[in-house]
Amino acid sequence: MRHVECRFEEDVLSAVVQSRWPERVDPQLQAHVEGCGICSDIVAVAGTLDADHDEMLSAAVIPEAGRIWWQAQLRARREAAEAASAPITWAQVAAFASAMGLIGACFGASSTWFQAALGSIKSGVSKFELAAFVSSVAAAVGHAAFALGLVLIVLLVPTALYIALGRD
Amino acid sequence: MFRDATYTDLTRTEAAGEETAAFVMDEETFRGFYERTARGLWAYLVRVTGDRALADDLLQETFYRFLRAAATYESESHRRNSLFRIATNLARDARRRSLIRAGSILMGERIENVPSSVDAAVSERNADLSRALANLKPRERAMLWLAYAEGASHEEIAGVMGLRASSLRPMLFRIRKKMAALLGRKPEGGAR
Ligand SMILES: [Zn+2]
Repeated sequence: MRHVECRFEEDVLSAVVQSRWPERVDPQLQAHVEGCGICSDIVAVAGTLDADHDEMLSAAVIPEAGRIWWQAQLRARREAAEAASAPITWAQVAAFASAMGLIGACFGASSTWFQAALGSIKSGVSKFELAAFVSSVAAAVGHAAFALGLVLIVLLVPTALYIALGRD
Repeated sequence: MFRDATYTDLTRTEAAGEETAAFVMDEETFRGFYERTARGLWAYLVRVTGDRALADDLLQETFYRFLRAAATYESESHRRNSLFRIATNLARDARRRSLIRAGSILMGERIENVPSSVDAAVSERNADLSRALANLKPRERAMLWLAYAEGASHEEIAGVMGLRASSLRPMLFRIRKKMAALLGRKPEGGAR
């Protein structure tokens, strides 16, 4: 198996980054590096990058910390304001439609008068008995106020929640 | 874009007058952290992207994302690693979006020779390094820089790069060998 590590590589790396290489290292370590591909690669690469790093740090022209801080503050605030005034997303529309469907299904399944009205409308339509049809429509209209109230709650609650959360 | 915002006393006063944005880190802590890390991060971004102007933009964006992350850190090195991870991801995304003119980086024509130095020997070494780095993949440049310029441990590099620490040693071995050859040594140094 190919060797990818040498037990002296940490010593060699330390000597390079501490600027001890090559003058201030043990002659035995120097002799090892001459015959070790791994360690000589470390000397070449680490020596070059470490020296470049020092030069880069002294040459770096970076913005002042306070400037970065205040620009970040302004941007965070602007983004928060944009998020609050953002139009309703497709995800929100989908969630709302799902909630409506669920409530509608619960209502249809649990309401006996709705089932009865639906049944009589069905039979009224199939037999077309005018009197039965009229009475079933009247029963449905009689509950329209209740249904309307339910729809309003379903509409208003998510809207109020959206506005409240969006402003945070 | 964030970089388009102009910083003046007016905007600063305007910002100060309003409620402080919800960053987990306070300004004093941020200033200290920035002073300790910004130059090193800038050097990393310049060497990984090979583009000084892009590095300037990514530096600001990195610190913004870092502040917005709302994370808490158990140590300075953890915080620093997180910063470099954000920078690494931004540099990768920028490359994917072709903010870097792809051909130039891949061909090694545009890797900047930074910093320009009046010292001829330093300039030459800098040019050699730029040429060598241009022949590595951005990911390889990042790993070498973290290991040998930043002095990061294998665990830290793995965290920044999103790799397994156990895979670092063979990867670094291979990339280091490639880099050494590019810097003018024999292509086949041979392992012991
Ligand atoms: Zn060795």
